[in-house]
Amino acid sequence: MDLHLNKEELNTCVQCGLCLPHCPTFRVTGDEAMSPRGRIKLMREVQDHDAPLTKEVIRSFETCVQCRGCEPACPSGVPYGHLMEQTRETLAEAGEITPLWQRLAFKPLEQPVALKMGSAALAIAAKAKLVPKRLGLPADLAVRQESLTASGDDLYLFTGCVMDAWQRDVHAAGQRVLEAAGFGVTPTGSLAPCCGALQAHAGLLDTTRDLAQTMMSSLSGDDRPILVDSAGCGAAMKDYGHLLGTPEAQAFSARVFDIQEWLAQHVASLPKVEPLDLVVAVQDPCHLRHVQKVHLATRTVLAPFVRQLVELDDDGLCCGAGGAFSVLEPELAGDIRARKVDAIQRVSPDVVASANPGCSMHLGGAGVATEHPMTLIDRALTT
Amino acid sequence: MNLLGKAKDLLGRASASNDPLVDDLVDALGSDAVKVDAAHRALYAHDASVFDAGFAGPTCYPETTEQVVAIMAVAEKHGRAVVPRGAGTGLAGGAIPLGAPVIVALTKMNQIHDVDTVNRVAWVGPGVVNLDLTNHLRPFGFHFAPDPSSQQVCTIGGNVANNSGGPHCLAYGVTDAHVAAVEVVLIDGSVAMLGGLEDEPDGLDLRGAFVGSEGTLGIATKVAVRITKNPPAVTTLLLSFDSVADAANTVSEVIAAGVVPAAMEVMDQRITVAVENYVGAGYPRDAAAVLLAEVEGLEAGVALDAKKISEIGRANNATQVRVAATDEERALLWKGRKTAFGAIAQIAPDYYLHDTVVPRAKLAAVLEQVYEIADRHDVIVMNVFHAGDGNLHPLLLFDRTVEGTLERVHAAGAEIVRASLDAGGVLSGEHGVGVEKQPYMAEMFTDADLDHQNRLRQSFDPVCRANPGKVLPMGHSCADIQSLRQTPPGVWG
Repeated sequence: MDLHLNKEELNTCVQCGLCLPHCPTFRVTGDEAMSPRGRIKLMREVQDHDAPLTKEVIRSFETCVQCRGCEPACPSGVPYGHLMEQTRETLAEAGEITPLWQRLAFKPLEQPVALKMGSAALAIAAKAKLVPKRLGLPADLAVRQESLTASGDDLYLFTGCVMDAWQRDVHAAGQRVLEAAGFGVTPTGSLAPCCGALQAHAGLLDTTRDLAQTMMSSLSGDDRPILVDSAGCGAAMKDYGHLLGTPEAQAFSARVFDIQEWLAQHVASLPKVEPLDLVVAVQDPCHLRHVQKVHLATRTVLAPFVRQLVELDDDGLCCGAGGAFSVLEPELAGDIRARKVDAIQRVSPDVVASANPGCSMHLGGAGVATEHPMTLIDRALTT
Repeated sequence: MNLLGKAKDLLGRASASNDPLVDDLVDALGSDAVKVDAAHRALYAHDASVFDAGFAGPTCYPETTEQVVAIMAVAEKHGRAVVPRGAGTGLAGGAIPLGAPVIVALTKMNQIHDVDTVNRVAWVGPGVVNLDLTNHLRPFGFHFAPDPSSQQVCTIGGNVANNSGGPHCLAYGVTDAHVAAVEVVLIDGSVAMLGGLEDEPDGLDLRGAFVGSEGTLGIATKVAVRITKNPPAVTTLLLSFDSVADAANTVSEVIAAGVVPAAMEVMDQRITVAVENYVGAGYPRDAAAVLLAEVEGLEAGVALDAKKISEIGRANNATQVRVAATDEERALLWKGRKTAFGAIAQIAPDYYLHDTVVPRAKLAAVLEQVYEIADRHDVIVMNVFHAGDGNLHPLLLFDRTVEGTLERVHAAGAEIVRASLDAGGVLSGEHGVGVEKQPYMAEMFTDADLDHQNRLRQSFDPVCRANPGKVLPMGHSCADIQSLRQTPPGVWG
């Protein structure tokens, strides 16, 4: 079967195996089929040697968290993320992966009103303890959230879909921190309902392209930087240039910054305050560290506002959240998370700073106290 | 096992296998720990080497010594061969399955059981990743000295099987010097402890025979490794040269001057550029060769050694001598050196890496021959090598989809091996013999040598079911390699 993979890109893998220890699913299974090298080999078998798409082959592709921890580990620069996204797109189009119920589940992400109503219902259900714990959904959703209002037009703050419905307090904190640094902020709200990252992971790249077009046209007209406080969304939006391949998309992607990445350049503009009396472990979301490669900014921004920053010793290995991965593959995600929890316990912090809503919810599900860097800084600034 | 698990096992078995071997393995290990589908058989048919894939039987993922014993019993019952596998990063084809063997993937036996800093020993599972062990030992102030370039992924079991080296083995010795004892499951399913924690164990050194035996004597299930105290001071120097010969001569003179650095590594220009593209460590792109030298020990001694190396380098026309100023800079330089093989895909999709060792004094002359041989066969060659111990790693780059290329690569490789042997060298520094160097064994050893090696092997494994078709060449091995390459009758069409 033609997976429509670029031959040159596929050829860059020499099967050396240096990626294996950086792959969360290989780490917990020890199984070559659950490794980047194995998955690439199976892509070749399917595309070049007409190997049948057995359930094991599909399983191998489906279990990839798409953390892209293998990419920085690869001395040959294999564009693994693109290969996996393309593979999933082909398989989704062929109806081999991402069944209808999953496609339907992604729909509300594009409909802010439906998502908010659904979230309110979920919040009420959670309070009534009607939501099974193994789904890993947050148990402490707010039934009503404060609304965000524009304070100026220096910057856009991308608010997105699930995060706006479930963690708007992070946006509010981020906005206050940006304002404290002297920027006027426009939350994007319904201008840009969803970045399409989860859909891209599931192989529904056409939906992502549509969402990208929508966002680009509603945020066009000036060159205002677009700040993102979710690592996964930021990575997806920085990839629009590659996804759409147009000069407009490339120009749009160049306007996208992770909020920590932006603030690291303006940390001197933030007021000097008493740091919070906390030992904070930095958990690097994969799409901040391996994809955007701006994870060091989190430290620069956070350091003045907390008593002590500590590093985890697991070399940035994924926590297992992976967008919808933790819901679709709860067992694997749990095993992967257990490693991360061990690493966190080795440095016994008061709180873990995570700049991605998926990671913080997933870790929260294991009882780890997590906070977004922005809420920590906001707290330091306002107390 | 709960009822649901049992039901799943029964269902899994009914659909997965009509093979009594697989049924017995599933009975022994559970269905999750045995894989027989086409995807797994394709993935486990080869390792990181360029040699033809083998034919994999079921792959098992044991977690305990008892489970390895059970696998051996099942394999014996069905007369099937057994091949152990770690991370599958071998470059000599040691883990390529021949004769549809049961593959024993040891990746889940990755526990660090015990660290004893007083006696400087750690007991570890064979699936522990080399660098994980060193990272684990860091808080104690220790490390595991053998540091193959693949150390971030390769396993201790694989290191034992191949008697692996690494840049820092120049000063510390290869894996053999760092293994005190090995718990081994022999091919008949019995468990033996080879070696011991005493400094001078009594009797013949069977541990020594086992280290480097590439899975042909049994499967290591627990290893007592010697751990090494971290040095108080480390200095890393990067010397640039206008010719590979100048770099090679510097290495030879440094050792002759009585300095034994922890590591001395040379990379030629082509590989340096590829590496620099990946790491951005500040490797000079315009130097014909770079020498990465590291000295460690007490601060005063380190400073003296570093000065001496700089002087010898300058006397051999070094164009630049740089001393890494920070730990980060050091780490980045080493990251570049250690990922060199992977970085070559920037240039070509396939590589064949040789591993011969030549006397240090002949480094420059043999290298010249290597370039000449590659040119003559129209093959791109890059040289990166453990210069301190004369261990050459010529990388032949190619694209196997271009017809006739692989033949030219193998022809050039054969000449390089002969040139090394003619210079008084040996076949393998650290990657093992595997399937790769079997054809050359007869050039290295006499018939009597090979017979004795085979007799040792047969005393561990009289029936030749432990990684058959490896190490010893045809005629000196009980296995016929050609027949092993064919699909055995009755094994999945």
